[in-house]
Amino acid sequence: MKKITIDPITRLEGHGKIDIFLDDAGDVANAYLQIPELRGFEKFCEGRPVEELPRIVPRICGV
Amino acid sequence: MAKLKLALYWAAACGGCDVAVLDINEKILDVAKLADIVFWPIALDFKYHHVEAMPDKSVDVCLFNGAIRSSEQEHIAKMLRSKSKVLVSFGSCACFGGIPALANLTTRAEIMERAYIEAPSNENPNKTLPQTKVSVPEGELTLPELYDNVLTLAQVVPVEYFVPGCPPTVDLILKVVNALATNSLPPVGATIASDKTLCDECDRKKEKKMISRIYRTHEIIPDPERCLLEQGLLCMGSATRGGCGALCVKVNIPCRGCFGPPAGVFDQGAKLVSSIASIYQTNGKQDIEKMVNELVDPAGTFYRFGMSVSMLKRRIPQKT
Ligand code: SF4
Ligand code: SF4
Repeated sequence: MKKITIDPITRLEGHGKIDIFLDDAGDVANAYLQIPELRGFEKFCEGRPVEELPRIVPRICGV
Repeated sequence: MAKLKLALYWAAACGGCDVAVLDINEKILDVAKLADIVFWPIALDFKYHHVEAMPDKSVDVCLFNGAIRSSEQEHIAKMLRSKSKVLVSFGSCACFGGIPALANLTTRAEIMERAYIEAPSNENPNKTLPQTKVSVPEGELTLPELYDNVLTLAQVVPVEYFVPGCPPTVDLILKVVNALATNSLPPVGATIASDKTLCDECDRKKEKKMISRIYRTHEIIPDPERCLLEQGLLCMGSATRGGCGALCVKVNIPCRGCFGPPAGVFDQGAKLVSSIASIYQTNGKQDIEKMVNELVDPAGTFYRFGMSVSMLKRRIPQKT
């Protein structure tokens, strides 16, 4: 199967990658969106003083 | 002068550094006059394969923001290094690890567990975690490897300049643009900000007053005229490079050190501890214990933006 990879996805905040698989007729058989990034706010915010979080979580997305 | 070829990239970042470049407003037109942008994912549709096809050293300047926490980010950093004549570590994540480097207080396994299994918004009964390779009926999908350790750009490739800040301020970005326009870049290795500490550019009254208690920010409303540290708030000014214009301190909020250590300071946290120790009133061991107990989350506070370049570097993962 032919695979077309769009990497990176542009003009948005964040990282993304799309793989499109084409069948023999050249039609789209399936497409996958993957996010090749994880920083881990879900975990590293734990243990930080709660009053500090308003200065940490804005860095989830600065756009 | 021939137009410069300029690349901008984000690794482990929030996009704020890219937006900061746009915050120079109409001056962006000067940048457009000065340079052709050859790669900038947030704004233009160039792909990795376009960069790969560029000859070595064909990019004049690359402003690289974001920390390095995956194999993909390391790969792109190496690729942009070989394509660029001048590589600039742009913003606190690239320079010191930034907020993403707080992940060094945990481990990759703990992050994966929390983000993909425990988080209440997940439904993942089979406890599936991201894999670097996975077979799907149509073929194979790949993902980069997430590292246990968050690194700075300079820990991965040699870098010519450092522009600190979360994000770098408009003034600093214009300084970089002007230096490029007039071909007057500083000596290689320079940090484009002040060489002094933030306290040097802070105009709050410093009275050499001792403190007998450390306060958390919600516990007092500080006097807007007096030094915050002398009011018992953990302000990182003495351990932080100047250059931001004391942005946080001006709005009555203690500095959290996003400009990194000043010139000549090896470790931001150690420097702050020495500042606290010099003004904390103690009459013996019990006062010292009291002070230590008043420091909530010292690692996450002293190294809020600088865990990757700190003496600690990371929490040592427990052997399993
Ligand atoms: S410790 Fe903070 S408030 Fe005090 S002088 Fe330094 S930057 Fe200003
Ligand atoms: S005051 Fe401190 S935390 Fe705030 S912008 Fe300046 S260096 Fe960064």
